[in-house]
Amino acid sequence: MGEVISPMEGNAPSFPTSVLDAWNEAALRLEDYLRAHRVRDRERLLRLNLDLLDEAHRIHAAEPGRTPLDVTMELAADRIEAWFSRLADETVPSDSQLAARARGAWFASGLHREWPTAFLDPAPPAALVAAVRSASMQAGPALEFSSLIRAEVDYGAMENLAEGTWQQFSWAHVLRAFVIWVAIFFAAYGAYLQFFRQP
Amino acid sequence: MKPFRSSDPLAETASLRQALFLATGGGITIAGAWLLFDTYRRDEFTWLEGTLLALFVVLFGQIAFGFAIAFWGFVTRLRGERFQIMRSLDGHATDAPPGSTAIVMPIYNEDPARIFRALENMLVSLRATGHADAFDFFILSDSNQPDSWIDEECAWVSLCSRLDAYGRVFYRKRRVSLNGKSGNIADFCRRWGKRYRYMVILDADSVMAGETFVRLARAMDANPQVGLIQTAPQIVRGTSVFQRLIQFSTHTLGPIFAAGSNFWHLAGANYWGHNAIIRLQPFMEHCVLPELPGITSADRHILSHDTVEAALMQQAGYQVWFATDEPGSYEEGPPNLTESLKRDRRWCQGNLQHFWFLFAPKTGFTNRIHIFFGLMAYLSAPLLVVFIALNAVDFYAKERRAILSAQIGGLTDTWWTSLLLLGLTLVLLFASKVFGLLYTLPRARRFGGLWAVLAGSVIETVSSVLLAPIMLYYYTKFVVLTLLGVKVTWKTQNRSDSAIPLGQALREYGLLPVLGAVLTVATLHWAPVLTLWLSPLLLGWLLAVPFVMLTSSDRLGQWLRRRGLLLIPEEINEPEILRGLDEPPPALVRPATLVATPHYGLLQALLAPFANAVHISLLRRSRVHAKHKQDYLDSLAARLLADGPDALTRREMMALLWSSETLAALHRRLWRAGETELHPWWRFAMRHYHEAHSARHAP
Repeated sequence: MGEVISPMEGNAPSFPTSVLDAWNEAALRLEDYLRAHRVRDRERLLRLNLDLLDEAHRIHAAEPGRTPLDVTMELAADRIEAWFSRLADETVPSDSQLAARARGAWFASGLHREWPTAFLDPAPPAALVAAVRSASMQAGPALEFSSLIRAEVDYGAMENLAEGTWQQFSWAHVLRAFVIWVAIFFAAYGAYLQFFRQP
Repeated sequence: MKPFRSSDPLAETASLRQALFLATGGGITIAGAWLLFDTYRRDEFTWLEGTLLALFVVLFGQIAFGFAIAFWGFVTRLRGERFQIMRSLDGHATDAPPGSTAIVMPIYNEDPARIFRALENMLVSLRATGHADAFDFFILSDSNQPDSWIDEECAWVSLCSRLDAYGRVFYRKRRVSLNGKSGNIADFCRRWGKRYRYMVILDADSVMAGETFVRLARAMDANPQVGLIQTAPQIVRGTSVFQRLIQFSTHTLGPIFAAGSNFWHLAGANYWGHNAIIRLQPFMEHCVLPELPGITSADRHILSHDTVEAALMQQAGYQVWFATDEPGSYEEGPPNLTESLKRDRRWCQGNLQHFWFLFAPKTGFTNRIHIFFGLMAYLSAPLLVVFIALNAVDFYAKERRAILSAQIGGLTDTWWTSLLLLGLTLVLLFASKVFGLLYTLPRARRFGGLWAVLAGSVIETVSSVLLAPIMLYYYTKFVVLTLLGVKVTWKTQNRSDSAIPLGQALREYGLLPVLGAVLTVATLHWAPVLTLWLSPLLLGWLLAVPFVMLTSSDRLGQWLRRRGLLLIPEEINEPEILRGLDEPPPALVRPATLVATPHYGLLQALLAPFANAVHISLLRRSRVHAKHKQDYLDSLAARLLADGPDALTRREMMALLWSSETLAALHRRLWRAGETELHPWWRFAMRHYHEAHSARHAP
């Protein structure tokens, strides 16, 4: 056990150094994750960080076998997914695909710039909700299927000639012919050596 | 706006011009063949000479018809051309919106930065015309490299966001890249073809000005009998010597050949596969690629679709035109000879497949000529090799016979005829360059001045003489490989500049100097006069390695540019549409510490909430959750985190990227994982990502 350090303020419990390091790692990662969501407002960032860390402490107290990093980041990911999911459609339960669509719109439509303090707001502005729902990363217009039918081409006499050849051609025939001609050659050469070669 | 005038004068003119064209090329061929026959008939006409004469007719015919195109092109440039499809717009200015047009760009692992910057320029240029509402862009991706895929998605979202282009610029990634580029276009037609009247096909390196899109659509509106208009894209933005040679050549000789081509085929033009506008309804009804005769499905698939589509369009009763002088259509050339040959390898196989259409009863006359020229572009190489070899045998035999029978006088008689034939051949070979020069000289200021054009022409001519023997070897090899059934796959063309180092040059071209040296020694020993005759070929082979290295050099290319050599008008006065193409779009600017990091796209897709969200939202939700499939994906995900991206093959990474659930889970796992649980690559990537991120702005 390392030295026990008391927190300067707040109501978080006192930790040994090793545990404090783990919570520091969790806090830093959390801050990075929030920054990755373009939370640029410093105050909002700090409040979200503290809020999520407080919650993580409570969960960790009930599940001490898990690392602070694991607890904190799972909490953050769950909360962010749920928030985006609700932004996209509050009538359905949290869903990663739905959340991804809203999260994409959050970035792509520059909503993070327009509402810098709204991230993870439990009661997001109606305009933000409307903006997320109207923003669509439309990958293609509405489908209007056509059936394409291959053009029929008459290739003429060459096709008939080629097909006749392909149907009759076989490597077995080639091999058989090769063997026969090799045999004839050696037979002829043997006969020449035997009967016609001058002594 | 009046439609293009009645087709009868057009048909009559086409008939007359085709007769003139065939008479020019055929007449010269007959004259050349007669000169050769004249040298043979002095003596006993042997079977070898008969074979040589037959080969000569085929090979010399190609040169003669090349000359005929250049000659009539030059004449047309002097006289002016009445029959040009874009002239149907002259004097008919209108503000009515053009027909709805889809601008379609099939891509395959090409540089996303270049693609999306060009798209941005084209969109901005179209908006400036005031008719952008008539046009939609489609990026049709068949990319199978994870990084390219993610970069394309991020760049697309960024472009749409910045330019408010959602609903105007679309992105589709095919899960199965069936039938390559033609399959990708067919897939577009099947899904959305019905929504548009026209489709402009672009290559990944194509750029077209907004005004050009509008004019092409208007020309189609005004001429309902026209099914396709092919523009003559200018090759631009070359940096290496090789690119600069090609672009100078296409700028000086291109107008002559374009005018000459239009002269003889008029409404029976060919399609080059890009920078062209197509009427969609007949295209979808009549131009769906047929199957070729063949045993396997690979044999039956048409590789080079453009020529076949042009032929089918004309069989369906629509005209195909070549807009020879329409400005604002651009493309880029391959950076070095190796990349150019890779492209030729594909084209060779595609063109040889067109053989089947040569004998198809319904193939139109002009299409048959296009197909024949396309075939001969490659087949002439092995034929020339056979011709040279047989000629050497013939020459050696005659020389021996002359020495043995002291028939020196007999040989001397034919010598002059041979020289005349050689002179005629050289005139035909270089006439097009002279025509190009004569056409360019009055416009020399646009190319950097009179001396710049003259010097550029000399450099280009010398280079083409040195290049021809290298092409002869490789084209022969390609034809032989194709005939032996060695297939090629659809490879990404490296469109960026890349110098070829000595090691690579020796590996790829080292055989040529050896071949050149052996032939030089052999001819010097057995028939010294032949060495002189074969000197252009031998010189090209002997100098192949340094030639390839020098022409691949960017530094030398830039040096030439600074000296005002091989300049083209677009370099002196850069069009707006080509500006800024080298600057990557904001979404693709990497943090400085991660510029050289491989697998950056994968890093983005897993780590960055933005890229992860964009990617997942563009994927379809898995309908069936087969346990064995999920187990497989879980095992890949575990390996990816524990062993780093290098532990996975490209196919395994693509499998992960196709699973939205696994991607979402990986994103969470990565952010939750302690440093010790991760492979060092991830620790490095995360550290630099976080450092960079705090300083970066939103896309």
